[in-house]
Amino acid sequence: MDAFVQLVILGLLAGGVYVAVGVGFGLVWGVLNIVNLAHGALVVVGGYITWQLFTGFGLDPFLTLPLDAAALFILGYALQRGVINRIIRAPLLFTFLLTFGVNLVIVNILLLIFGSDFRSVTPAYSGQGLELGSVVIPYVRLASLGAAILLAAGLAFLLNRTRIGLAIHAISADRDAAQLVGIDLRHAYAVTYGLGAACAGIAGGLIAMIQAITPTAGEPYTLQAFVVVILGGLGRVSATVVGGLAFGLVEAFGQSIPGSGSVFANAIAFGLMVLVLVTRPQGLMGRLH
Amino acid sequence: MAMVKLALLAAVAVAALACGGSSGGAPTTGSTIILGAPLGLTGSLTKESILTQQGYNLWQDWINERGGIVVNGVKHPVTIKYYDDTSNANQSAVLMQKLITEDKANFLLGPYGSAATATDAAIAEQNEIPMVEANGAAQSIFNQGYKYTFGVLSPANKYLQGVIDMAATLSPKPATIAMLSADDNFSLEVAEGVNTYAATKGLNVVLYKKYKNGATNLSAEVQAAKASNADIVLNSGHLQEAIAINKAAKEQKVNAKIFAYSVGPSTPDFITALGKDADYVYGGSQWTPQVKYTPAFYLTVADYVTAYKAKYPGLGDPDYHVAESTAACLALQRAIENAKSLDPKKVRDALAALDVTVFFGQVKFDSRGINIYKPMVVEQIQNGAHHTVFPDSVADAKPQYPTPAWDQR
Repeated sequence: MDAFVQLVILGLLAGGVYVAVGVGFGLVWGVLNIVNLAHGALVVVGGYITWQLFTGFGLDPFLTLPLDAAALFILGYALQRGVINRIIRAPLLFTFLLTFGVNLVIVNILLLIFGSDFRSVTPAYSGQGLELGSVVIPYVRLASLGAAILLAAGLAFLLNRTRIGLAIHAISADRDAAQLVGIDLRHAYAVTYGLGAACAGIAGGLIAMIQAITPTAGEPYTLQAFVVVILGGLGRVSATVVGGLAFGLVEAFGQSIPGSGSVFANAIAFGLMVLVLVTRPQGLMGRLH
Repeated sequence: MAMVKLALLAAVAVAALACGGSSGGAPTTGSTIILGAPLGLTGSLTKESILTQQGYNLWQDWINERGGIVVNGVKHPVTIKYYDDTSNANQSAVLMQKLITEDKANFLLGPYGSAATATDAAIAEQNEIPMVEANGAAQSIFNQGYKYTFGVLSPANKYLQGVIDMAATLSPKPATIAMLSADDNFSLEVAEGVNTYAATKGLNVVLYKKYKNGATNLSAEVQAAKASNADIVLNSGHLQEAIAINKAAKEQKVNAKIFAYSVGPSTPDFITALGKDADYVYGGSQWTPQVKYTPAFYLTVADYVTAYKAKYPGLGDPDYHVAESTAACLALQRAIENAKSLDPKKVRDALAALDVTVFFGQVKFDSRGINIYKPMVVEQIQNGAHHTVFPDSVADAKPQYPTPAWDQR
């Protein structure tokens, strides 16, 4: 029983990271209709900012998260305004090409600045945790889950309760009509991409504490974000939260299958994704337009 | 002084001219030997590929300072031509072919990693040009019957055997092993090596768990290791996974007597990424700067470390990737010298017959072309520094055993 509880906890805690990785990706996909292949690279940029502030200035890694978000928002805003906006109405293939290219450029700039060394943020309290009997809840992962949920809640608030958020909603519903009623499309697009990048930055900060990062480490996160968003359903932040936690749980149980079960953890997650696509194309929680 | 040099040069030139037409004389400098090497200078294997390149370049500088490789009294300078295979094994093979056909490479040096080495070995075989490699330890490369691929490093199945040997000498003797492994060829061979070898030393593998190569979340695997209550937790994978497993082991309070990882602990990154949590971790290593071998030629271990630090300041000691890559060049050099020819077939035969000890250890190939004669050593991180702890003959410190519990450090 304890082993089962421990596995559920580990799965949910891992899911927290997937939520953080997924929300920004889902936002950009839902509103701009861009599958952002540079998302993983932006995650890694966030990781490096946290690492730099932690090792260079001794800043607590959790305090660096708002700075990650701010820096990545600016980067994302500029990237969308200057580069990605040019293909906003182009066929899907062009968006793949361009975002993949952006991904390569970011990765190689990181390689030039930081080299290919593996880095990780290991604060003094790293590895400590709450012990309930034989069940352990690591503090850093718990706080990461908390940060991810806060991030999702903040994003949902921004999208549903603020002027710019409503403008973003309007665009995702009908971009021409939104333009007709006076919404500045270019600005709103750039803000959307900036928000997506900011979420990626926070995810990167969390990942730097749990994993090791290197400039090329971003690829799996793009893939995970993709699965998480499809699992949960496009168009709602809360759906991504469900998708992320579900992905974490499925992965944990997949990994716990004896022998080579872990090898199939990804296959199981992708299988589930296909199943969801077949039976509920809108995702577990998504709404059909 | 300049005048004297000029005069000497003139004298040499005249002498060379005078001998030029006759059959008895030979020029002191012959054609340049071109060596080809595709490396993952970008992409996921950048780190290790750059270490490989450093090892190759160290030797290239050294040999060219001496005028080149001597073949029948003629000095042939060496140029190593690199291409970036973007850490992609198929691309590596394409570039290897390009090096042979377009760049007219005389001989080949290996890429980084077992995957690329396997695809490149096929190209070397098709073209009948010897490839000496230092970074592909999977035995599957050498079980194809290839005749033109030679690996100077100890094969994968030996990577963690040193740890098992060491464990058998410790007191209280550990009894059980939890073996975690990534599912790529190399890692699986390391793990299988442990699984078959452990029993011969009276150790019992109680958990064998494979995970997807490149996995980012390994907490469930670590949980399984904890549940198995094994004395020894072994990981056969890569640096990133080793760091993730060590972090998870602390978080989930896995208190094994020995933590040992096939790849990772020997790199400086492992210590900088984990800080104090890296202490007590063991790793198998092809080579350490503390080993004691008496080289037949080239530098001693101490001189090698000095030469590395002079060329690449600020990077600390060379790790084993650098050393084995230099050793590959040395094996090729000695084989060319022994063959007294630049003919690929003769050099291949000289490689097959090679038996020489350099700073890296004994270099000698079995009939498959892999070096099974050099032992692996065991390193342990003690107070943030690497120490060689096994075998005793090359060790500079005693193993700190057993590893204290996480909350007692």
